[in-house]
Amino acid sequence: MSNAEVALVVIGVLAVVGVALWRGAQRLDRLHQRVIRSRATLDAQLVHRAEAAVELAESGLLDPASSVIVADAAWRAAVHAERLVGEEDESRHTTGSERGLVESELTHALRAALGEEEDQEALAADPRGGELLERLRHHTYRVQLARRFHNDAVTQIGHIRGTWLVRTFHLAGRAAMPQTFEMDDAVMILSPVTRP
Amino acid sequence: MRIGIVCPYSFDAPGGVQIHIRDLAEMLISLGHEVSVLAPADEDTPVPDYLVSAGGAVPVRYNGSVARLSFGPVVAARAQRWLAAGDFDVVHIHEPITPSVGLIALRLAEAPVVATFHSSQLRSRAMQIAYPLVRPALERISARIAVSEDARRTVVEHLGGDAVVIPNGVYVDRFASATPTAGWTGTPEAPTIAFLGRLDEPRKGLQVLVSAIPAILERYPRARFLIAGRGDLDWAYSELGAHAGVLEALGGISDEEKASMLASVDLYVAPQTGGESFGIVLVEAMSAGACVVSSDLSAFRRVLDDGESGFLFTTSDPASLAETVCRALADPLERERRRAHASAVVGRYDWTQVTRQIIDVYAMVTAGEAAPSRSLLGRLLGGTP
Repeated sequence: MSNAEVALVVIGVLAVVGVALWRGAQRLDRLHQRVIRSRATLDAQLVHRAEAAVELAESGLLDPASSVIVADAAWRAAVHAERLVGEEDESRHTTGSERGLVESELTHALRAALGEEEDQEALAADPRGGELLERLRHHTYRVQLARRFHNDAVTQIGHIRGTWLVRTFHLAGRAAMPQTFEMDDAVMILSPVTRP
Repeated sequence: MRIGIVCPYSFDAPGGVQIHIRDLAEMLISLGHEVSVLAPADEDTPVPDYLVSAGGAVPVRYNGSVARLSFGPVVAARAQRWLAAGDFDVVHIHEPITPSVGLIALRLAEAPVVATFHSSQLRSRAMQIAYPLVRPALERISARIAVSEDARRTVVEHLGGDAVVIPNGVYVDRFASATPTAGWTGTPEAPTIAFLGRLDEPRKGLQVLVSAIPAILERYPRARFLIAGRGDLDWAYSELGAHAGVLEALGGISDEEKASMLASVDLYVAPQTGGESFGIVLVEAMSAGACVVSSDLSAFRRVLDDGESGFLFTTSDPASLAETVCRALADPLERERRRAHASAVVGRYDWTQVTRQIIDVYAMVTAGEAAPSRSLLGRLLGGTP
């Protein structure tokens, strides 16, 4: 083989490796973009849910003790807890575990305050109460969706970052490994269709 | 919202997925959204005006049955043009791993993608080959929907990650307001029992019902069996011999006739033996007010609230089917109770409810679009997510 042929082969191999790396990086980048978006969405939905909870607590339709507990939990979730996005100091929003605890507490407060299906019937029968309950149900559902979609994206990043191509060539750069967002988000709220 | 929906199966021969997409598109349009559906369809097939043909479909043996799919360079070019012209806020692709126009659109779409997984084929060879091949494309999906818990489990097992369950929809009112047909209603001595589905497809389970008929006739000698669906029934006549007269073949029936039949009969029997991920026909029967007797497949069990909304028998067991049918016929009060439960819960499958959930999903994937993004190079050289 002449020098020119060797050079051609080397160039060919380098081109193939280059394309593979570029595509791997693109794939990873797309997933990271997805995680950023889904995290921002999740953060916004959590705030909406807390706002809906505050409104319900302030309506005077819950008993006084429940009102205070729900309002307090919602206030801590919406205002005092760490944000999932937008912090300059990234160490503060990489895990979100503190936020997860606070949001779970709001869930528990809502569960206790709203009770079972039959306990909610009186509240749902009130026009203002029905409206507030429906709003809370709507935002609770959206939180569940946003959290599933976010964690789904995180799981997929974990999968691709575990592949040899990404590990060998450090395609992920110094990007931190995103974390799933864990919380208890299950609240049973009477929906208009199951309402008798 | 501008919504683009992609269907992998041909509209020439409507099936469950196509009907689901048609209903969803019409519901979204009625709510004021701009909707365009991209699907395989032959030039001469009459299609609704929101449908754009992705080209003719080719019958391909895939995943155990023959499906009409479209693929190839012409289809890819049409998908590209459709995406560019539609400028969609969200692209909703159904059955994205089916090798058809959906998979092609998934690779080309720039807008956020929502995908719905309809099937629950556990451990099928086609799926095991397909998932690793299409994995990079599937990573483009921002939100996954599964139509049932079984479909969700399939997705989680093969792909990892998760999916939200949003059931298939039914226009409950259309079934609830159906008028019974006199010839199809039964009496306590001569009850009517209905079957719906392809007659020569073993998965639909007609053979299980036919084997159970002699035992049912011992208790109810004047029972009548209404068999609706396309296909050949000769094998059933010969199996029943002298009893063949109890079968009344209705052939293929229209949507209106189906609703009327379900509203007329004493029992609707769903003897499917497998491959069902949801059970839309059970929901239709529940909406029409029929009392449902079904096999205890996990998808059916869920739709029937573990038997609260109907009667369950052991899948593929004619003796269990016959016993369950006789038990249901003998107890009109219990039948009424379960029918009432079914009517009370069936609203969760109504299109108004289901569409609302799907719009919530669209909102979740489009909301983040405004988030700032950094260049690929900047992120690789020192970026953090």
